[in-house]
Amino acid sequence: MTETASVSGGAMTTDPVIHVDNLGISFNRNRRQRRSFKDLLSSGARRKRPDQFWALRDVSFDVGRGEAIGVVGRNGQGKSTLLKLVAQVMLPDEGSVTVSAGVAPLIEITGGFVDDLTVRDNVYLTAGLHGMKRAEIDARFDEIIDFAEIGDFLDTPYKHLSSGMRVRIAFSVISRLEEPILIVDEVLAVGDRGFREKCYRRIEELLAGGRTLFFVSHSEKDLRRFCTRGLYLDKGRLVLDAPIEEVIDRYNSDYAVE
Amino acid sequence: MTVAAPARTVWTPFSRYRHSLWLLTSRDLKVRYSTSALGYFWSILDPLVMAGIYWFVFTVVFDRGVGHEPYIVFLLTGLLPWMWFNGAVSDTTRAFLKEQKLIRSTKIPRTIWVLRLVLSKGIEFIASLPVIAIFAIIAGATLRWGVLYSLLAIVMQTVLITGIGLIVAPLVVFFRDLERAVKLVLRFLFYASPIIYNLQDLGPFKTLAAFNPLSGIFELYRASFFVNPIDWFAVVVSALMSVIILGVGILVFRRSISTVLKGI
Repeated sequence: MTETASVSGGAMTTDPVIHVDNLGISFNRNRRQRRSFKDLLSSGARRKRPDQFWALRDVSFDVGRGEAIGVVGRNGQGKSTLLKLVAQVMLPDEGSVTVSAGVAPLIEITGGFVDDLTVRDNVYLTAGLHGMKRAEIDARFDEIIDFAEIGDFLDTPYKHLSSGMRVRIAFSVISRLEEPILIVDEVLAVGDRGFREKCYRRIEELLAGGRTLFFVSHSEKDLRRFCTRGLYLDKGRLVLDAPIEEVIDRYNSDYAVE
Repeated sequence: MTVAAPARTVWTPFSRYRHSLWLLTSRDLKVRYSTSALGYFWSILDPLVMAGIYWFVFTVVFDRGVGHEPYIVFLLTGLLPWMWFNGAVSDTTRAFLKEQKLIRSTKIPRTIWVLRLVLSKGIEFIASLPVIAIFAIIAGATLRWGVLYSLLAIVMQTVLITGIGLIVAPLVVFFRDLERAVKLVLRFLFYASPIIYNLQDLGPFKTLAAFNPLSGIFELYRASFFVNPIDWFAVVVSALMSVIILGVGILVFRRSISTVLKGI
């Protein structure tokens, strides 16, 4: 496992903030298949059985500070897996991912919230798990609540919130982590249009503030709006790494909608 | 609104680990105590009821020839640490499954998912110690210098439970049956460990029983109240077993974690 300690704040660095080298990860095609203990305990690349397939293989790229990357590809071509590997919530079987700055992952954002705890407790818990100290959360608490527009529900157990409110507060917390890298899966598909627009504006602000963005979406409009560079994944390979317009054009010509 | 990246706290890996571990542990305790009216009382009620039953069965129904007087104190010195062991090990079977959404979205050192269970159950154990004190006063048992051995016992038990947890937690993700198997083994272990009886009571089986790492650990706990020469053979075996189990646990965990993250 390669991960380097956070060096956030070092503006003079020209080194990439995300360095992906020959990345590969394989999955079991048949989840229900029995595994043997031996299979489980043998490490990484040596293990390759016919019922396994490579969700991603030989993927290499570098991301510089402040770049906005859009990941393009059809369903099941490894986009979300790539995001999880970059967020380091999954570990590669081959190659390495080196991320040299803190990451704010907007992946399964409501996952850390506990039903039985109040909104207030949940905010402190989630922000804390992502590496914020209590005083830092205190300083941003009002901002977080204002953004989510749920000031009246501070002491309500999380389970009593509507699904829209849950996503709002979760997005609000993660987007205030102030980490240099922002990873966005298609989480924003939920929530009403007004709030989605607000989230998008927030992402734009963060980009203007010099954050690095890693973005997965099926929406051409969104990709064009945020991203400058595109990664086109097909069948687990990185097919094209180019400016976003070029990537979208190539994607459209490969899979033209009749 | 300005969003220029301000300097955030710089964490050392250790302080970050401790911070996350403590957050999750206190979350567990908070959830447990905020969702039930009796809260803390539940964590002592369970061993109390068990102790009551065994006390009745072995002092009133049967003519007991095992353990020490006062028997209720003898029982509790075994039962309370057992509750810690039992609770933590059975919880580790769900360490990953129960928290899968959180694990899929947060990057914290993965051993925390096991360690927080060891810690929160351990804190409940410490919190239940006043129960022993109360019964010791009522039944007239005197605290001895041997109570210092309990500290060693706590360290050994932490090592043992952590080791077992590091083995069980990842394997359950692949073999769901293991969850039930662990329950069965735990029930067996309850009677196979010197909780309702003393290690000495086993006679010829004593040497064999020493290879149950809990035997040595309970020997040490019991020195708090009872003048019973500690079976050092059992203690040494137990310490060795605990360390070996921890070693195996670290190995299993390290080897399987990337597959676990794919599987949940």
